[in-house]
Amino acid sequence: MEFTVSKSDLVRELSLSQGVVEKKTTIPILSNVLLEAEGDRVVLTATDLELGIRCSCPARVKKEGAGTVPARKLLEYARLLPEGDVNMKFLENHWASITCGRSKTRIAGMSRESFPELPQMPEQIAEIPVKLLASMIARTSFAISMEESRFTLNGALLFLRPEGLTMVATDGHRLAYVQAASAESGQTNKQFRALVPKKALVELVKLADEADPDAKAIFAGDDNHLFFQVGHRLLITRKLTGNFPDYERVLPKDHQLVAKLQKDEIRSAIERVAQFADERSRSIRVQFTNGEVRIFSSSAETGESEESVTSEYQGPDLEIGFNAQYLLDFLRVIPQDHMAFELKDQKSAGEMRPAGDGVADQYRYVVMPMRI
Amino acid sequence: MRTYFHLDMDAFFVSVEELYDPSLKGKPVVVGGRPNERGVVSAASYAARKFGVHSAMPLRMAYKLCPQAIFVDGHPERYRDYSHKIYGVLQSFSPLVEMASIDEAYLDMTGTERLYGPPLRAAHLLHERMKAETGLNCSIGIAASRLVAKIGSDQAKPNGVLWVIPGEEPAFLAPLDVRKVPGVGKVAEKQLNALGIRKVGDLARLDESFLDQRFGKWGLALAGKSRGLDAGGWFDTEIGAAEGPKSISHEHTFSEDTTDLAQIESTLARLCEMVGRRLREHRLHARTIQLKLRYWDFSTFTRAHSIARATDLDTELFEEIRELFRRNWKTGAAVRLLGVHVSSWSEGDEQLNLMGEEKHQKWRQALEAADRLRDKFGESAVSLAAGLRGNFRERTHENPASLPGKKKPS
Repeated sequence: MEFTVSKSDLVRELSLSQGVVEKKTTIPILSNVLLEAEGDRVVLTATDLELGIRCSCPARVKKEGAGTVPARKLLEYARLLPEGDVNMKFLENHWASITCGRSKTRIAGMSRESFPELPQMPEQIAEIPVKLLASMIARTSFAISMEESRFTLNGALLFLRPEGLTMVATDGHRLAYVQAASAESGQTNKQFRALVPKKALVELVKLADEADPDAKAIFAGDDNHLFFQVGHRLLITRKLTGNFPDYERVLPKDHQLVAKLQKDEIRSAIERVAQFADERSRSIRVQFTNGEVRIFSSSAETGESEESVTSEYQGPDLEIGFNAQYLLDFLRVIPQDHMAFELKDQKSAGEMRPAGDGVADQYRYVVMPMRI
Repeated sequence: MRTYFHLDMDAFFVSVEELYDPSLKGKPVVVGGRPNERGVVSAASYAARKFGVHSAMPLRMAYKLCPQAIFVDGHPERYRDYSHKIYGVLQSFSPLVEMASIDEAYLDMTGTERLYGPPLRAAHLLHERMKAETGLNCSIGIAASRLVAKIGSDQAKPNGVLWVIPGEEPAFLAPLDVRKVPGVGKVAEKQLNALGIRKVGDLARLDESFLDQRFGKWGLALAGKSRGLDAGGWFDTEIGAAEGPKSISHEHTFSEDTTDLAQIESTLARLCEMVGRRLREHRLHARTIQLKLRYWDFSTFTRAHSIARATDLDTELFEEIRELFRRNWKTGAAVRLLGVHVSSWSEGDEQLNLMGEEKHQKWRQALEAADRLRDKFGESAVSLAAGLRGNFRERTHENPASLPGKKKPS
């Protein structure tokens, strides 16, 4: 096999595979990227058996064929090359020789025979605008559980219906829910529900960043896998198995108490006060009183802090404990200027929502309090 | 100058058994189980000790050494009862009491001369009162440090009182075997003997820096101990200061190695119940849960998991422990011993769960009600169904998770 690509194309596509390639693997071939030269393109494939990515870029193919080389080493080397054409030629012993300007390198490769086969993409289910997808991921993925033992919570639920697209994530203490109407998410007459692993969501955001603003992701799925095709790039992930909790039951039906808040004000206040929260529990106390919300923290080691912001709140005085990080996760991700904090009592979940103008889809964030 | 008492009950478990069955008196008695059972001797009477039987020895070996001994099952609840009585007597004597195990205690007697007279007289009074109120013999060591008081009570046994007059500590300690120093076990003794150190006097003569170099912090503490000082972590806190446990654990050795998953899981459930009970007793919530697994060939594994939300509920402990077991058990390998160990107490505010919070609260209420039943009717009054098959007899420990008089952290 022999082909020539532009250095910038090669580096860009290789970069996309780095998040997928296993850093520490017991199977050496998984550290490699598969290169396939065909027609007028070269296709790059990487996988860790859970997640796979297939990208391509234009190439002048002199001789068709395939081979694998260490993905990290190839990228690190290619980045250092001058702009211009890079020629790659695979040799009999699976090594590849790389020529660029006056640089000549031979990189140790492995036979493509041992590279795992990626599943075939089935018929498409929907076309989802990538910007919407990325924004839904940004608003939910922080709530995904980091605890490996809770494997059904190690990803987000993707729920596609004729009415629209829903994404939900939770770690058992808080839950983020976004629903986009079909006008935004694209028409479909199918219903499809799957758990997407966190690592796949991270890579999906990277694909969205590289794509045109109005690009669409072609979405498909089989029994075990999910497929997201964005232009020439295809991301394949295994589905998470198991039952996602019944989120409908968690979403509060009604709230007696609502505090409207200016987002930047409340965010900065919490950020400052949280500096003096207990480092492990991150707990702060939030006090709702007429026209005002006050925030307190104290820690035996570092000290204590308090701050107040004005709020349209009319109701009985109420003091609730929260993990400051949980509140900030939401406040840092919404673009809107205002938000509503809805509450029931000290022991029930609170809900945060964007408020005011420019709220296009439905975004709800439910946080369980701390016992203080 | 401080005055400490160390009071140690004489052959405690055996003596309590004798109170229930006076015919045992004076005979070789072994507490811990039947001679053909697995497990170890919890205590041996003085008559049995003459044959070389001692605690922590396998029951079967005790039988070989002394086949005529009377083997009795341990009764942990009786010992706990008596431990409470002992604590009661001690507390009536001095407010600064710390039970170091189920049958021994330190008393800070500093400044009680006007109340009880000189130390020896005070010890005599305590000794008599203990006998009168519990029917049990004890030995008391008196010294200016807890360490020497403890060694003293050992030397005073049985049924004696020994006062090491301040200033006389080196002379008292020098002729004793190094093994008599608390903190020196079988392994350390060997290492010290290998260096030609046999007596405490040999230790005291050594350069501190040599012990430091050779054994690190522990060696440095040892140097202090050899001169009769309260050195090392044991004595960091004052007697009577509130100090909770750092970890809580329970273990069980099967009388026959088992591969029966139902029996294993049931035993784990039972152990979790015992641990959960102690957690609630101390008002502690554990974040780290550890499984101990010993196979038929004595190979032993521990596997721990930290949970996001600390717990004191049997059911939640069991869920974690069962998961740890299922992940780590070499399927089909016969299990000899199981243990459940919890640590890392959570402090401060508790994060509530989005899902299952109601269930959590209901379990808490149910288990607290079960605790009240146990307080009233004994430990076996009520138990989780999952643990019923694993309902083994509790073995007797000298250091149960809870000791009377240990202050609970508020």
